Amino acid sequence: MISADSREPVPTEAARSSLSSTGQATFDLALRMGGLFLAIVLVALLMFVLKPNSFNVDVGISVLRAMSSVAIMSLGLTLVIVVGEIDLSFGAMYGLGANSLAVMWILLSIPIYAALPLAIGVGAMVGLFNGALVTWLSIPSFIVTLGSYNLLYGVSLWITKTSTFNPVYPPPGSEIPPAELDFFTGLTASFGSHPISLEVVWMLGLALIVGFLLHRTLFGFRLMAIGGNPVAAALARLPVTRYKILAFVICGMLAATAGILDFSFIQTTQPNIGLSYTFPVFAAVIIGGASLSGGKGTVVGAMSGALLLAELQQGLALLSPGPHVQQLFLGFVTIGAVALDLALTNIRKRRAA
Amino acid sequence: MNGAVEGIRLRGLHKRYGATVALAGLDLDIRPGEVLGVAGPNGAGKSTLIRIIAGEERPDGGELAFNGSAWTPSVDWRAVAVVHQEPQLFPNLTIAENVLVGREGTRIGRPWLSGGDAKVMKAFGIDRYANTLLGDCSLATQQRAEIARAVARDAQVFLFDEPNSALTDEESDELFREMHKLAADGRIVLLVTHRLGDLFEHANRVAVIRDGQVRAILEGDALTEDGIAQELVVGRGDETSAKGPAAIGQDRCVLVAIDDWSHSAGAFRAISLEANPGEIIALIGVEGAGARELLRSFGGLESCSGTIEIAGETGDMAQRLTAYVPATRTLSLYSNLSVGENVLARLGEPDIAGFGMALKKRRMRQLANEAIRRFSIRAYAASQGIRSLSGGNQQKVAIAQALNCAPRLLLLEEPTRGVDIHSKREIYRLLRDFVGANNTVIMFCTEVLEVYEAADRAHVVVEGGLSPAITVHDYAHIEALATDIARMQRHGPHDLVNGATRASLP
Repeated sequence: MISADSREPVPTEAARSSLSSTGQATFDLALRMGGLFLAIVLVALLMFVLKPNSFNVDVGISVLRAMSSVAIMSLGLTLVIVVGEIDLSFGAMYGLGANSLAVMWILLSIPIYAALPLAIGVGAMVGLFNGALVTWLSIPSFIVTLGSYNLLYGVSLWITKTSTFNPVYPPPGSEIPPAELDFFTGLTASFGSHPISLEVVWMLGLALIVGFLLHRTLFGFRLMAIGGNPVAAALARLPVTRYKILAFVICGMLAATAGILDFSFIQTTQPNIGLSYTFPVFAAVIIGGASLSGGKGTVVGAMSGALLLAELQQGLALLSPGPHVQQLFLGFVTIGAVALDLALTNIRKRRAA
Repeated sequence: MNGAVEGIRLRGLHKRYGATVALAGLDLDIRPGEVLGVAGPNGAGKSTLIRIIAGEERPDGGELAFNGSAWTPSVDWRAVAVVHQEPQLFPNLTIAENVLVGREGTRIGRPWLSGGDAKVMKAFGIDRYANTLLGDCSLATQQRAEIARAVARDAQVFLFDEPNSALTDEESDELFREMHKLAADGRIVLLVTHRLGDLFEHANRVAVIRDGQVRAILEGDALTEDGIAQELVVGRGDETSAKGPAAIGQDRCVLVAIDDWSHSAGAFRAISLEANPGEIIALIGVEGAGARELLRSFGGLESCSGTIEIAGETGDMAQRLTAYVPATRTLSLYSNLSVGENVLARLGEPDIAGFGMALKKRRMRQLANEAIRRFSIRAYAASQGIRSLSGGNQQKVAIAQALNCAPRLLLLEEPTRGVDIHSKREIYRLLRDFVGANNTVIMFCTEVLEVYEAADRAHVVVEGGLSPAITVHDYAHIEALATDIARMQRHGPHDLVNGATRASLP
């Protein structure tokens, strides 16, 4: 029977329209995203004022291209962070993705059509390795992935014999069929009157897929739940182990993909590529509002964080005030975003009290 | 009245947490040289009282005086020592370092053990462990180190908060000896415990706290276990509105059958229990008696041997028909999710997700709003954050979440701990509705009141054994039930007490 209590709340139509307090619709998240978008617009305006000549569509496109690999990795990292874990190894996986493809394709003459999925499969295996150690052996993910970061870099150095690869100029003895080379460079070919690389399209497509996965599927719903309270999730018999491993696997695959796409665009790979992406990707995810304690994070946030970072990077490169400014900005923006987050949380708590 | 009164004087202490009143004008005198016992149901304000005396919380109103002068424990905290069931010490330091820690501020160099400290450690029998890491010592030794540390800094007030719930009998005896020694030295000793036997044996006076006030102080001849048990529940017997029909249908088909059920770590042994559909069964026991582990084991959360059968399924499949709701809501709710999402968190395909695991958003809203209405959860919208609900409503969400996955056996751990009376009634009504649909509830309780108000049948768990069934409907007054339960806890599980108690097991 329904209680006839007069205090019985009647959900309003507006309130009915959304169920989620994490994905969207909450006031502070809107503020947060609003702040982020505002920052992105402000940086653009600043560029326009300071360097009106360089402010054009082509620069905007180059920002999108520059953000794409960071953005793709931040998608995977968002999943791992939402489920309450940490992955430090994706930067090294980016390198191993590109390098293992180069070795399989250029040195071992495996056709690109097989080498490409195999290289992404390496990312999946690495994710499985990370996830299995984290869940089955209960080793903290920070330690596991710190270890695999070094392991992966070591493997990259080993299989490439510390040399660089360029499919256009293969080492003596190797031959790249022109069709395969066209296919590979075609992955990130530019199109349109203002040339825009296909890599941007890949990035947007992957963002849509991961966004759907995180915000519109049972998988994402449970990732949020597991990250928010792993003990409750285990008591409720949610598949905690499987989902944590899956998050690591997807993260590994996306890192490998990012490495391969950049390899296709730049057409050269070195053993140490990707390592320096580790912290910018973390910064993008954190700026986007994910919480390192788990259970909180959005795809839109991670993408916006990556966009803001790329914008700052490109803008500062044009202004060329010196290499230190970019690092200073990265530091300020990361800390500022989290400080804003905490301030908003406090405001909300005071309102609730 | 006034002047230099020895000991602690509390007058009119008030403390609120949001909408919950924890202390409502509490008066209490604590005299040096005695062990004052404190008893009270969960949520009565015992732990708030301890936190205030220990200086961990400030009261909203009221006066505290120590030896006749006004006293602010949060400033003068060094005078007070709290001994918890889990020692609040540094497991990575040695026993000697633990005794010293906190006093290093007076010197630049590392502090060292003075002759006085060594004497204290010897007095508590921990001198031979001086250089052992605290984490490597037994719980009893750790507690002694905690007491020694307080004595060494010359604390005058000792608060023992359920100190022996994880100790063996010998270790408890040892602890109580230390407690009496402290009292004999003229220190103030407060003992908070659920074990009425310990209060009876070791306290000079027992203060019973209910609803944030001291309702009775028992001493002398009035201080008996039955006396405490009755004071704990007095005046509460009229709240039996949620009682279901006393007669459970004649078709006594068994829904749950558990046999020869033993815990691999020894918390309980050779338990047999049968439960009928439509029944609410209470397992009552003090902390450490094995009741909590027993309840968890039915849900497959403890490693056990024996057979379990639920609705024709056995073993693992049987345990899938259970849903377990822990006592602390931090273990059942997701603070990052909304009320609606929390209610649905245990569901999966096909209830809330369809092809490709895509969430059925509209169906989820519908289910969530339905559950909010059915379980009378006071939320203005399903999208409201879970943390903004009151404790009682959060507990309803936790139970709704468990019931959503259609269990046949619901396992509840202290289902109304820290829940206001209004929500409590509604929770009991929900449980009635649930068992009314041919299901069973087994709950772990520490309060007789809860057993009386909600259960059809109770079993006392003592030292890992199960008592014969107590049919709650046979008791016209809660006092009689409280007396019988206290007696069973005292004498062990196999003592038949009176006509009201009969064996229901073959």
